[in-house]
Amino acid sequence: MKIFDVQPWQKCARLVLILVAGLAVSLSSFAAEKLPRLSNGKPDFSGIWQTTSAADYDLEPHANRKDAPPGPGIVEGGVIPYLPQALAQRKKNFEARLTDDPALKGYTLGAVRGVYYPEPFQIFQRTNDLLLVHQFGHSVRTIYTNGTDHPQDPNDWWLGDSRAKWEGDTLVVDAKHFNGKTWLDRSGNFHSDALHVVEKWAFLDANTIEYRATLEDPNVYSKPWNISVILHRHREKNFQLIEDYRFTLDYDEYYPPKRPDGQ
Amino acid sequence: MLNNTITKFQRTTLATLFATCALASPLTALSAESNAKPAAAVPVVPAPEVARWESEFPAISAGKWTGPKLADGQPNIQGHWSNTIANHNNFTDPQGGIPNDPNPNRLAKGPRNQRAPSRVSDPADGQLPLQPWALEKVKEFQVGFHNPTKPEYIEPLARCAPGGIPKTFYWHGFEVSQYPGYVLFQFNSGTRIIHLDGKPHLPSNIKLWNGDSRGHWEGNTLVVDVSNHNGKALFGRSGEFVSENAKIQERYIFSSDGKRFNYVATFDDPSVYTRPFTVTIPVKRWTAEDKTNGWQFEATLANHPQGKVLLDREERICTENNGGFGLGARK
Repeated sequence: MKIFDVQPWQKCARLVLILVAGLAVSLSSFAAEKLPRLSNGKPDFSGIWQTTSAADYDLEPHANRKDAPPGPGIVEGGVIPYLPQALAQRKKNFEARLTDDPALKGYTLGAVRGVYYPEPFQIFQRTNDLLLVHQFGHSVRTIYTNGTDHPQDPNDWWLGDSRAKWEGDTLVVDAKHFNGKTWLDRSGNFHSDALHVVEKWAFLDANTIEYRATLEDPNVYSKPWNISVILHRHREKNFQLIEDYRFTLDYDEYYPPKRPDGQ
Repeated sequence: MLNNTITKFQRTTLATLFATCALASPLTALSAESNAKPAAAVPVVPAPEVARWESEFPAISAGKWTGPKLADGQPNIQGHWSNTIANHNNFTDPQGGIPNDPNPNRLAKGPRNQRAPSRVSDPADGQLPLQPWALEKVKEFQVGFHNPTKPEYIEPLARCAPGGIPKTFYWHGFEVSQYPGYVLFQFNSGTRIIHLDGKPHLPSNIKLWNGDSRGHWEGNTLVVDVSNHNGKALFGRSGEFVSENAKIQERYIFSSDGKRFNYVATFDDPSVYTRPFTVTIPVKRWTAEDKTNGWQFEATLANHPQGKVLLDREERICTENNGGFGLGARK
């Protein structure tokens, strides 16, 4: 039996395979080449970022409810490993969430929640540091990449103290010295001032960042736990942050002085 | 220690806060304001009194920039800066004390010409060309400030509102950083992003404490056009203000040695003023060689394993907006 009919197909299949493989290689190298980089060769995360996830409604998987759309959650394994007392507090927080969520008062969100809160934040990056300006409150978090360590006798901060190093193209941030006044989402998930976070920031492509974080807090959790969320670059024409100092809204009306005749 | 301060501070009432604010005079400004604004988490190392303020300052001519430049061509003016004459007690007599201060010991003594000039550099008399109704409002505030029986007599900065324009330039020191397309100001109270890419301003119905800023460099001068200003941030404890119709053009004129700049801004607001006016604020650079002092220079020395001299800037989150004031006061 002659195989005239088969050989050309095989050749053709091989050719296709080679072409596809080649294309894949060139596409991936294309992607790597296209990542924005600083003058020192490190990835440049400069830009305005925001998640499309429903993480801020509840980090854990949840069905819909009157004040939240359903969501699969962003906690690895689905459940935050609360210590028993902390779990009771979290339940209290949940019941009181429509009044007690610090974000409703305009308070600074904290380092982690600021990343997936549904408002944009802008990264300004130099070789020595990254400044994260959150539209919400226009608060500024500095992530140092200048070889410095955490301060030795620090205060507690709303956004903690962040020191980072590069592992390949991944920015690994060690953040601690937080205060215990922020929540992790609007459903009442929380932490204490013993929170320690290790974040990993990495490009999936030039317009997408994968953000991963490990949270540990021996006062609140029985073991460290992980979250992961995708951040998208705002590419709308002329997009910019707009100040959101919403804690001023209650007294905005008193300023500036009004002309008595109302003109 | 700071946390204790903050906790105590959160428990204070608005009236107490006000009293604390009123304590500050230019001669005691440093310590009093550190109490009023514990956001700065730095150990206060008081600088010698004599070095704190100057009563006169040099003019800086607009012209070529001969100092270092960044890769994108901007003059490199990154770092820590603070005004050289006074805090926001008094806008037109910056070292004259809070108008109507009931404590005579806090009022400045001696002739006017021994103190720093008015921040109003045009008109030449140093006075703001307020329309009569607006002048009455300012005078009313200057009385009400010392016994705030109405919410509008509280200086909004005491509620942790952003300092706004121009007050942020004489409320504590601030840090400037630069990026391709941007100049970023981190003030003690508020953050301001200057866009250098010429994008159009935000829609005019969006009003902001720090306005919406578009800038470009002309030699040694950063020229910034500000619109969308909400007019809510008073100029200081002396109560001057603009309306939300104000147009502001700022010129930051840097000396090429990188040590100083003069902030020269023209305000045009026909709703409140009879003519445009110009504000001039002298500013000097602070570096790691200077001592931190909890006001002009609030950076701290970073913890570098090899002892490299690098500065940390701690977060500037106004305690009150996270505690007992603003929305928090309602709880």
